[in-house]
Amino acid sequence: MTIPTHEDRESAKETLAYIRRTMESASSFTAVSGWGLIMVGFVGLLAAWLAWSGTHDADLRIWLPTAGISIALACIFNIRKAKQTDVPIWSGAIRRLVWVMAPALAAGAVLTVALARGGSEHLLPGMWLALYGAGVTAGAEFSIRAIRWMGVSFLLLGAAALLEPGAGLLLMAAGFGGLHVVIGLDIVMRHGG
Amino acid sequence: MVGSLVSETLDRLIHERIRLGIVSALAAGEGMSFADLKQVLKTSDGNLSVHARKLEDAGYVRVLKGFEDRKPKTEYRLTAKGRRALEAYLAQMEAILNEARDALERT
Repeated sequence: MTIPTHEDRESAKETLAYIRRTMESASSFTAVSGWGLIMVGFVGLLAAWLAWSGTHDADLRIWLPTAGISIALACIFNIRKAKQTDVPIWSGAIRRLVWVMAPALAAGAVLTVALARGGSEHLLPGMWLALYGAGVTAGAEFSIRAIRWMGVSFLLLGAAALLEPGAGLLLMAAGFGGLHVVIGLDIVMRHGG
Repeated sequence: MVGSLVSETLDRLIHERIRLGIVSALAAGEGMSFADLKQVLKTSDGNLSVHARKLEDAGYVRVLKGFEDRKPKTEYRLTAKGRRALEAYLAQMEAILNEARDALERT
């Protein structure tokens, strides 16, 4: 090969960066909103406080609306970030992400009905945390690294809550509240919002 | 873009920016629709069609035409030849950087 000039070197660097950017953009959903996760975290903390003030930890009248509000908030903030960062909203990457998360979340919905009917409500916090963690960990294959750590942490919290159901509400506050806020702040600081 | 003697040794087919983008995006996944590729590369329909056709003619990509929800859908996939071409191109880019680093160390 001919000896490369300074321009060749700069151009090669820029070309490799372009290839990397394109591959990332084609294979992963990077518009995860840190602010969205922080908002979801605060909703989780509020729900945990309401449940603590109420009669039982896994009160579906509190946690089902919480799940609905959280999903809506996540959608609104992620779409906003995708628009701001000019990332495709409904790309192949996010379709795959939704598909790999869906089985764990669907299993969680069915188990919620089954456990609540069977009088095993004390297992709900651990099951919710563990299956949400399983879904997020799987989805993280198509997203940023911080999400994988969040998923694994949820799995661990879920395991702890299943083994120690008495601490279920505290662990839900730590997960659905604290973890979302912490990972959200990390994304805000490192990935710009 | 590389504009010296070095550039003359590069695969001109994927050296062009949009074509390099198409090949890189397809190398990252199993296949992509025309609409997804257009969004990832932030380019126009016409531009993407022209460059994708050149890659198809060279056997670097394969086009699968079908229907999804009764709407026509065009999906692109990277062929083994296309993947080898991208790998060779990446190796050339790395060689340029290594050569430049060696030259820097010699001075």
